[in-house]
Amino acid sequence: MALKRLFVANRGEIALRIVRAAQALNIETVVAVSDADRDSAAARLADRSIVLGPASAAKSYLDPRLVVHAAKESGCDGLHPGYGFLSERAILPRLCAEHGIAFVGPEPDMIDALGDKLRARAMAAAAGVPLVPGSDGIASAADARREGDRIGYPVLLKASAGGGGRGMVIANSGDEAEAGFDRASAEAVAAFGDGTLFMERFVPQARHVEVQLMGDGQGNVLHFGERDCSVQRRYQKVVEEAPCAAMPDHLRAQLHASAIALARSVNYRNAGTAEFLYDVARQEFYFIEVNARIQVEHPVSEMISGFDLVQEQLRIAGGAALAVTQDQIKLNGHAIECRINAEDVSRDFLPSPGRVTKWAPPQGPGIRLDSHMRAGAMIPPFYDSMIGKLIVHAETRTEAIALMADALDRFVIEGVPTTLDLHRAIFAHPGFIENRIHTRWLEQVLLTERGRAAA
Amino acid sequence: MTTLPLSAALDDARALLDTLLTSNWQDAHVVSGGTEIFIARDGGRPNPMRRAANAPAKTSAAAAVAAPALTEVAAPHVATLVDSVAVGARIVSGQVIATIRVLDADEPIFAPCSGTVTAVAAASGAMLEFGTPIMTLSEAA
Repeated sequence: MALKRLFVANRGEIALRIVRAAQALNIETVVAVSDADRDSAAARLADRSIVLGPASAAKSYLDPRLVVHAAKESGCDGLHPGYGFLSERAILPRLCAEHGIAFVGPEPDMIDALGDKLRARAMAAAAGVPLVPGSDGIASAADARREGDRIGYPVLLKASAGGGGRGMVIANSGDEAEAGFDRASAEAVAAFGDGTLFMERFVPQARHVEVQLMGDGQGNVLHFGERDCSVQRRYQKVVEEAPCAAMPDHLRAQLHASAIALARSVNYRNAGTAEFLYDVARQEFYFIEVNARIQVEHPVSEMISGFDLVQEQLRIAGGAALAVTQDQIKLNGHAIECRINAEDVSRDFLPSPGRVTKWAPPQGPGIRLDSHMRAGAMIPPFYDSMIGKLIVHAETRTEAIALMADALDRFVIEGVPTTLDLHRAIFAHPGFIENRIHTRWLEQVLLTERGRAAA
Repeated sequence: MTTLPLSAALDDARALLDTLLTSNWQDAHVVSGGTEIFIARDGGRPNPMRRAANAPAKTSAAAAVAAPALTEVAAPHVATLVDSVAVGARIVSGQVIATIRVLDADEPIFAPCSGTVTAVAAASGAMLEFGTPIMTLSEAA
């Protein structure tokens, strides 16, 4: 049964995005808001909004019982969790199921399984998806050399009980592996009371690539190509692209096949993303994890595929099977997304809430903006600082970069500091233009150069 | 200063609150045209407007009697009202004056003061949002 009334359990740009997708499918919308978001763009556009609780996320957006109570009492038959907040907490789909509401996402047991790194890795291995080459427990320096020789250097020695970088050593050779074992093991004993180590191949310059998946839970699984999200700061994605222009076609085909095999092996339902580490030097990719939700960066996949992924999510949650086959999904051109945050880059990216006094986004062919902002809008201090996503689509990566650079130049935001200038610097940097990026490029190269120039 | 539309006034009040919450101020007092706003953290100064409003009451007992302090009890979060005490009921501070329900769990609402119920704003079975008035209490002198 197609959904009739959808509860949107999120805020910001994604709440607005979900309301629009529902309206395109003639689904009524009820948006959950906190006291700080009463006047949000999503609340204005939706048929109804319900104030869950005070501004504090823990007492509003993060309380699954309040969310499901509001959805039930407002007569909703579906609930979209967006991303972040409760989107990957199995309690939310469990409560939805108890109260007869269709959850727009995978089954709660699937969310639990994918949220457990070890279980997710086991699922990937069972589906034949490559994992980072690694070892079991390593008990001696001789073991360390033997395993290092087998895995290939450089390798990372890690404490089994570890975390936070303690008991971690990078070894570039057999000699370093032996010496590193003694040091890392002693550190692990000191820090965790357990000297057991294991070893993983270390990829000094990796890319983050991920495959957009959609399953209907009825045996059909599709992919919408891959994204390259290597421009990151502190593991937070800053710029995302589709496709990954640094990946040769034969490897791309293997990447897609791996992601599909994994999703099919568990009869995956709704939107998901399989994330991989891409070792460009070795031309290999390794499974990281599956995100069981729609992601922030889904628009770049929409731009190159021509599909509205949120609408697909809503159809599947309403019980529909996927209406297309893989060969009907044609990927065209190159798309790039910039996450624009209200942050003060000069003060270590300090979130800077406040009132937007001027909001003049660029417009034109190939430019898309997903944002809940407008002139006069208030950015509350209680939530994350993303105020919009600027997306461009062009024939080639080079053209997309030129289009984005121009769009960024024309984007005027006043009232709060934003990361627009950082994005302008990224799109003017030869390392980005020539596609020599990796997951530590932004911090090690661009931000380091800017820090030096400012000093 | 021209009169602000209500939504803009609310935005300004929120902006002021946001500013206070992100600062280390204890309180903020803004007077602008016909609008005066005072907000404070626990431990901030007492509200100067209240002092001004109370000052004449001390000289005029009649005014104090004519305007007893009214306390509105509002829903602390989204919920369904199960039941509440009736208009006219005399209550004491801390007494259960209403029961609200979230999914299958009931939660009591306690009287914030002693006094009399002067109005009940929500019917049993009604959905309450955060801040929805449940009832009004007239504080006992």
